[in-house]
Amino acid sequence: MSDKEDRFGVSRRDFLKSAGVGGLATAVTSAGVTDVEAQAGPRVIGPGDVPVSLTVNGKRLELRIEPRVTLLDALRNRADLTGNKRVCDRGSCGACTMIVDGRTAYSCSTLAIDVQGKQIRTVEGLAGANTLHPVQQAFCDVDALMCGFCTPGFVVATVALLEKYPNATPEQARRELDGNICRCGTFVRIMEAAMKAKTVAGPPTRQARWGDMGVARG
Amino acid sequence: MTWGWRVAKYTWPEKPTLLSTRVLRLDGPDKVAGRARYTYDINRPGMIYGRIVRSPYPHARVTSIDLAAAQTAPGVKAVVAYRNPGDEVHYQGDPVAAVAADTEERARDAARLVRVRWEPLPHVSIEAQAMDAAAPKWSTTQENTRPGVRQETGNLETGFNDAAHVVEQTYSTHVITHVCLETHGTVCEWDGDKLTAWVSTQGVHQCAQGFAQALGIPQANVRVITQYMGGGFGSKFAPDSQGIICAKLAKLANAPVKLMLDRKEEHLDTGNRPSAFAHIRAGVSAEGKLTAFDGRSWGTGGAGAGSNFPLPYLYQFPNRKRVHTDVYINAGQQRAMRAPGHPQGCFLTEILMDELADRVKIDPVEFRIRNAPPIAPNAQWIKYFQEGARRFGWEKRHPTGDPTPGPIKTGMGVSAHLWGGAGRGSTAHVDINPDGSVVVKCGTQDLGTGTRTIVTIVAAETLGVPMNAITTEIGDTQYPFSGGSGGSTTAASVSPAIRVTCTDALNQLFAKVAPTVGVQPDDLVAEGGRIRGATDASKSVAWKDACKLLGTEPISVDGKWQDGLSGAGTSGVQFSEVTVDIETGIVRIKRILAMQDCGLIVDRLTAESQVYGGVIAAINFALYEDRLLDRVTGQMVNPNMEFYLLAGMSDVPQIDVVLNDMPERGVIGIGEPPTVSTASAIANAVRNATGATIRSLPLHPHKVLAAIEQQRAGGTN
Repeated sequence: MSDKEDRFGVSRRDFLKSAGVGGLATAVTSAGVTDVEAQAGPRVIGPGDVPVSLTVNGKRLELRIEPRVTLLDALRNRADLTGNKRVCDRGSCGACTMIVDGRTAYSCSTLAIDVQGKQIRTVEGLAGANTLHPVQQAFCDVDALMCGFCTPGFVVATVALLEKYPNATPEQARRELDGNICRCGTFVRIMEAAMKAKTVAGPPTRQARWGDMGVARG
Repeated sequence: MTWGWRVAKYTWPEKPTLLSTRVLRLDGPDKVAGRARYTYDINRPGMIYGRIVRSPYPHARVTSIDLAAAQTAPGVKAVVAYRNPGDEVHYQGDPVAAVAADTEERARDAARLVRVRWEPLPHVSIEAQAMDAAAPKWSTTQENTRPGVRQETGNLETGFNDAAHVVEQTYSTHVITHVCLETHGTVCEWDGDKLTAWVSTQGVHQCAQGFAQALGIPQANVRVITQYMGGGFGSKFAPDSQGIICAKLAKLANAPVKLMLDRKEEHLDTGNRPSAFAHIRAGVSAEGKLTAFDGRSWGTGGAGAGSNFPLPYLYQFPNRKRVHTDVYINAGQQRAMRAPGHPQGCFLTEILMDELADRVKIDPVEFRIRNAPPIAPNAQWIKYFQEGARRFGWEKRHPTGDPTPGPIKTGMGVSAHLWGGAGRGSTAHVDINPDGSVVVKCGTQDLGTGTRTIVTIVAAETLGVPMNAITTEIGDTQYPFSGGSGGSTTAASVSPAIRVTCTDALNQLFAKVAPTVGVQPDDLVAEGGRIRGATDASKSVAWKDACKLLGTEPISVDGKWQDGLSGAGTSGVQFSEVTVDIETGIVRIKRILAMQDCGLIVDRLTAESQVYGGVIAAINFALYEDRLLDRVTGQMVNPNMEFYLLAGMSDVPQIDVVLNDMPERGVIGIGEPPTVSTASAIANAVRNATGATIRSLPLHPHKVLAAIEQQRAGGTN
């Protein structure tokens, strides 16, 4: 399986799992819970607000939201984490890209309730108090942004790229960043930024090593 | 304030320290860190969400609007009708009503409960269909066509008599939408009768005027803020229906309302680039000089909007005639889109140019040189053809049709363009404070072009202080008037305004410090954070110490754009090399060379980014994007970003940018020109590779294959 197929396979599979096959998964796990629940079939959650607990950039976030709320909307509208953007709202442009348990995910097509207990990283979680992440710094240094609306998604995708392939080749970078769209036309310099950042990005993080061992990818 | 005893003279410095260098975008760190707050990101206390109900029909009459069910839906705070019974709607997505609720999800639910009854009317979705006399009408009150421009120069009969060869063909380009990544939208908040609106707009002052007029309130009561905005490309100059609706919902609900369009609404109701068609008959002499152009053109700007474009483009036809017809269809209205009209006129003319060049068996570059306007400051094409051909390796180009065996054919193409980009009356304000800090205010806005950065560059250059000594305030109607950011006019308008204002402020400071330094004010210069004698550098004072002499009163100056610091008229030429798989019809671009000028370059880094961006936008126009309307239902079939195709990282070729410095011409805009000729250069390269001429954009694989088939069958080449 090529990297590109892998990347798309991951996010779209996740989406399908949450959107369509969720009932099946719930039915399987509920078999061991109580007879009442098993007889009643899959547990119905909602439609009103339910408690949802997320771990975002290492911090616990307790929300009360409807089960249909996406991860992107939960963070943007309920937690004022507006760094990642909503652009296409259906998993085709990458502006909402976050890293969930070490893998990139289209947060516009991921339900918040489905990523409880997972490590969620957004663009806001990359910079230190006074320093930018090497990828962010590289984007600034080579002017890899214009209007900046696609930028958070590209930054996160580039971070994920370099955690997966610390010495990414241009071909690997192209494939890993192919899930993101820029309308101003900054691609040339984003590629420059990715190649520049890999020289300063440092050792891969723990999450990236999980990914490399195939644990996170399943 | 000006000094009566000296004549203010404004010029750009001969030896600048910042101007024309590569300065990093000032708001880069905020954007990469996700800290930059766009309109979409504004969250106000107590804010609720708006949602518009739109026509599902391309043409219909509203019979009734029932808001009752929506009004009582959970979380709903306001419901408004935007149309009345009896009103006619003219395109899918025409706004009809709106709701506001405490969450976005509930606003969407409530919008579905607005019951609109419709009387569907016959519609037209295709230009050719609309031009048929028997076709249904797009409107019950207007015809489907309207005579457009009519231009005639010289004598066509003489021109065709002089022609050794004549080409007669029909050429066309398609409709595309702007696809701003930040959709159009607004956050509106009332304080009594005063409105604050965060708008994703290219013109804060224009928007304030639009709100005031539509809402019937004084413009003084409207404040518009745009600190960051996610792309406009010509489609974001007014509050639009969504802005006015948002303000009304906010008033009604007595709460701030955020109303951002979704992706489908963005495609349907926020503008597009009109289509362009032309049936052209053109003649060329045996010596390769153009002799005659006879063009009948048409195109659609949607429901009641024009579709004019320049034709013929750029090249000198001594005898020419052009007659245009605007065609109306049931689709959203066009808006200016990055060099309005030029990509269309350029494509229609440039494909024809290669066909004519082949008839007289002259190399396309040489043929263009023979027929381009003579070299002038705003007309550098001949120079760019020559220099570009050398840089690009044009001598390796084979004649039309790649003779090498195998399915992958390679070809090169060339094309040229022009644009205006002149400056106009921006105003600005600067305060030099006693502590040495400087605040520059200008009511312009940064679309991502780098306006915030160039304002700061010009101020720092003029005052001789580092950029971090300047606080730049833009994107707010509380700052002095500056026009909308369109027509590539912003850099040419704003840079002179800042230069004039800062020069005036500096002269006041010179007058204040002259006695202390012991040099006449006229002989002072500011550079490197010091004010010193121009001839005697030993007499100087540090900037901060100079400002201390102000005591408690800052220097506070207003200024305005003046002629002489900006110019107008740019020229550019682009070269393209492509491969075409003649078995699949898939075109891949290998490399593009862009030769471009924009007068005095303010920030070389962001100017280059503009060129990269323009080229990539045109790659989309040439190969991928296409607004597809279903002619039976009148619906757009790809109002999204998975079937409305845009280039991704793998589709972007090597792009080389050559900027021609012309500092003596003053600042000229560069946002639009580089996006004009790329598509034509690509199409000509495809023709060179395959030997088949594709006379309509986009160059989708099926069209490439059809052209190759036609050519093999002894087609029109």
